[in-house]
Amino acid sequence: MKYRLFSLLLLLALNSGSVAGQTSAKNKILPFGIFQKKLANGLNVVTVPFSSPGLASLYIVVRAGSREEVEEGKTGFAHFFEHMMFRGTEKYSKEAYDQVLKSIGASANANTSFDRTVYHMTGNAGMIEKMFEVEGDRFQHLKYSEHDFKTEAGAVKGEYTKNSASPYQQLYEKLLNTAFEKHTYKHTTMGFFKDVVDMPNQYDYSLVFFDRFYRPEYTTIIVTGDVTKEEVNKYAEKYFGGWKHGSYSPVIEKEPAQVGTRYVHIQQAGFPPYIGLNFKGPAFSDHNIDLPALNILATLLLDQSGDLYQQLVIKEQKARFINGGPGLNRDPLLVSFGISAVKAEDLQYLKDELMKALEKAKSVPIDPKKLADTKSNIKYSFAMRLDSPDQIANSMALYTWLTGNPESLNNYYALYDKVTAADIMNAAKKYFMANSLTIATISPADAGNVK
Amino acid sequence: MKNKLVITALMTSFLLAAFFVNAQEVVELKQPQSNKVVIKLMFRNGSISDPAGKDGLTSATASTVIAGGTKDKTAKQIQELIYPMAVNFDASVDKEVVVFTFQVYKDFAEKFYPLLRDLILSPAFADDDFKNVRSNQQNYVEEVIRSSSDEEYSKMALEDLLFRGTNYQHMVDGTTAGVSAIMLDDVKAHYKKYFTRNNLRIGIAGNYSAAFLDQLKKDMKTLPDTKPDIPMPGKANSPDGINVEIVSKEKALGSAIFTGFPLAITRTDDDFAALMVANSYLGEHRKSYGKLYDKIRTTRSMNYGDYSYIEWYENGGGNMLPVPGVPRSSNYFSIWIRPVQVAEGLKKQYKELDGIETGHAQFALRLAVREMDELIANGMSKEDFELTRQFLRSYNKLYIQTPERQLGFLMDSRYYGRKDYISEMDALLAKLTVEDVNRAIKKYWQTKNMFVTIVTDDSEAGPLKTALEQNKPSPMSYSNLVKVGLPADVVKEDEKIATYPLNVKSVKIVDSKNTFKPAVKGF
Repeated sequence: MKYRLFSLLLLLALNSGSVAGQTSAKNKILPFGIFQKKLANGLNVVTVPFSSPGLASLYIVVRAGSREEVEEGKTGFAHFFEHMMFRGTEKYSKEAYDQVLKSIGASANANTSFDRTVYHMTGNAGMIEKMFEVEGDRFQHLKYSEHDFKTEAGAVKGEYTKNSASPYQQLYEKLLNTAFEKHTYKHTTMGFFKDVVDMPNQYDYSLVFFDRFYRPEYTTIIVTGDVTKEEVNKYAEKYFGGWKHGSYSPVIEKEPAQVGTRYVHIQQAGFPPYIGLNFKGPAFSDHNIDLPALNILATLLLDQSGDLYQQLVIKEQKARFINGGPGLNRDPLLVSFGISAVKAEDLQYLKDELMKALEKAKSVPIDPKKLADTKSNIKYSFAMRLDSPDQIANSMALYTWLTGNPESLNNYYALYDKVTAADIMNAAKKYFMANSLTIATISPADAGNVK
Repeated sequence: MKNKLVITALMTSFLLAAFFVNAQEVVELKQPQSNKVVIKLMFRNGSISDPAGKDGLTSATASTVIAGGTKDKTAKQIQELIYPMAVNFDASVDKEVVVFTFQVYKDFAEKFYPLLRDLILSPAFADDDFKNVRSNQQNYVEEVIRSSSDEEYSKMALEDLLFRGTNYQHMVDGTTAGVSAIMLDDVKAHYKKYFTRNNLRIGIAGNYSAAFLDQLKKDMKTLPDTKPDIPMPGKANSPDGINVEIVSKEKALGSAIFTGFPLAITRTDDDFAALMVANSYLGEHRKSYGKLYDKIRTTRSMNYGDYSYIEWYENGGGNMLPVPGVPRSSNYFSIWIRPVQVAEGLKKQYKELDGIETGHAQFALRLAVREMDELIANGMSKEDFELTRQFLRSYNKLYIQTPERQLGFLMDSRYYGRKDYISEMDALLAKLTVEDVNRAIKKYWQTKNMFVTIVTDDSEAGPLKTALEQNKPSPMSYSNLVKVGLPADVVKEDEKIATYPLNVKSVKIVDSKNTFKPAVKGF
């Protein structure tokens, strides 16, 4: 059944057969050709043409996120800098840039995470040259006043303020700070609040930051939709060809092996109690089997038809939901499982049941049909998301920031075919260890009280 | 304005009548190049049909159907069957409609179909599934809404004020008292009564066969042939002056603000295109182009963003583009001011602000109202109008980037008595003039009578109440870092904003524990 299902994926519609080019779509999860061209300055330009009449998405992936924030007191800076990228250049002031975006009728924004900052716009494919022009301008010639810099810091504080209303957000900040000692994953992308408050004082550093990371070698441009690779490459060369290569490479400290379970807790009455089990996980790789193995296990374990969900959510009604899985990151982050509890007094029980299921995964092989079904679920879930230029560019962006190569998307999904029941048991043994666990809780009590 | 409301109400009832006459209405969107089939079943029956004392019943019903089993399969068996197919399905419930959406990979459509059919035609209503749904719903209305996002909370609190005493007041998920009163038998009876062949609109998009659609149509004809008694949607109250409700809670870092007043028109009316331009100029959702965003965030960095709305916008915190499936005939205008700083925080962060009594909420509100007043008084310039219109004519097309969205917007179009809202709005935008827009602004917008909700920290609530009641000057409290570099025109404008008169008639503090109590008419 497995192979039949997977071969059907190749029939994913949208005229995929006609766009085979440098890299054929054959036997790949993405049914479209990926055309890559590296400019002389190191900038990677990726085009994925497909039928979306009149519509194109332009994504610019900068492989710098909160992971690159290696200096004391500078947490949250990559994200803050993303805000500054909208503050204008000599040629296009902030107002002029906005007017151009308005005239394109584009949906445009940006976001920052651990490993990257992504700038994206989706709009009229006929305006693709204009998109390249304004983006090429700000990526090379960003210019803002010190006052604008200080002012923008207030918006970041506003963002922190609105996020902080969620106890989950508060817990997440504590979790990273506790689970990590040395690696920059210790802080969230928003940064520590004290650093956010201090941001207006960091104007000089912002110039250094731009100089370090907004360089072609850190960047990939991805264009999807109603475009040709010829026009994309032409405009990339025209508007980004003169961009100068940089010289900075951050030294990111390795996280030492964790010794012993750690605990974090948020005291919050009037909010559903919660327990999260967070193990140190693997870094992303498009050739190592651990990550797809863990993902298969998590998908199966958490599915609503699964034993755990049926027991805790449906029969016993002690849990409201269960979620989790491994994160996809450049360096090892966490494999997390979370349970929203009905009553705080059940947190220990829920933890024990979840641990039992994880323990079982170490020694009991997954049923072959379940394994095949899970692989199918994962692949079709992905295939169902390939509806629009924006969704496709977004998927490509993920694998681009992970490895620098968008083909990693195809490589990574191809790994799923190889995962065996033994691989899954091995991954469970390797990662689900009490030594590398951080238990995170929310409850009305002043401590988690979970062992 | 009152007459306009009556006329709209009459129009709505004609629409209802027309809807019932055309029994089985199908919206088709065949896309042979697509890799999936999307099916939407829209029942004209939303939370306004919740019976008295059982607020949240429609939502509980739809959720139990979708989370549950069928006559011959348990929920678990269904989940097992759809697992390898990665089928997506969900129920969305709003004030006036329930939409079940199913998305399936094209090769699995035939195999999945019997499950869809049985879920809708013969749901199991298993006790465990129901209890689970009710418990989560109860948890949401009791705890989650108050303690997850102060922005969403202030939005719900605004609706609670605007629609107080009407069937539009309570949250779609209900109230604490309402949800606790819901029993499994209520759910079963509600489904039978309100999910019938006569208030159903079928939608299908993607790569499906004629035979598939025929079967769907045939099967949906076996739903009850009764005519559900759907109540008229409640209309928004018109406040006398600016009425403020401050929701006081512990440990809030900011003040989350929503403000609004009744709006007489919807997508049904051609004037909506004119208001769309005005609104986009004032506060396009999640865009930096709007005046509100420019003045509050870009120039003063008081918060993360500020936007305005001429209709309901689902999950504004999560959605960058509007979603389909939430058509409403009772409308209101609103402004969303994302959390601004409170005095307690500012004092901790900057020594120079040690003497302030309140944070930035009053200044932000004054600024927003003043901005709107100026737009009402002066209108848009020809240049701004042209650019905004150009933007919208392209941007509106981004609403329908996927088959699911295309279908959803088409179905919503029918709800508003239109064939294709996106293309019809485009045609209306094309022939619009700046005079049309400025006339519409004057006709539909005002700032003298508004409801305002502010979710804030308990340390801020009292001083803010006093400041608003007394229309106290609210000079903007910048840190010295920002203050020294402020351009002269901003300083000058700040002075005007600080004393800008607001027609505040009433300010009330409500403890967070006491929000969303059962309907009581009046303020």
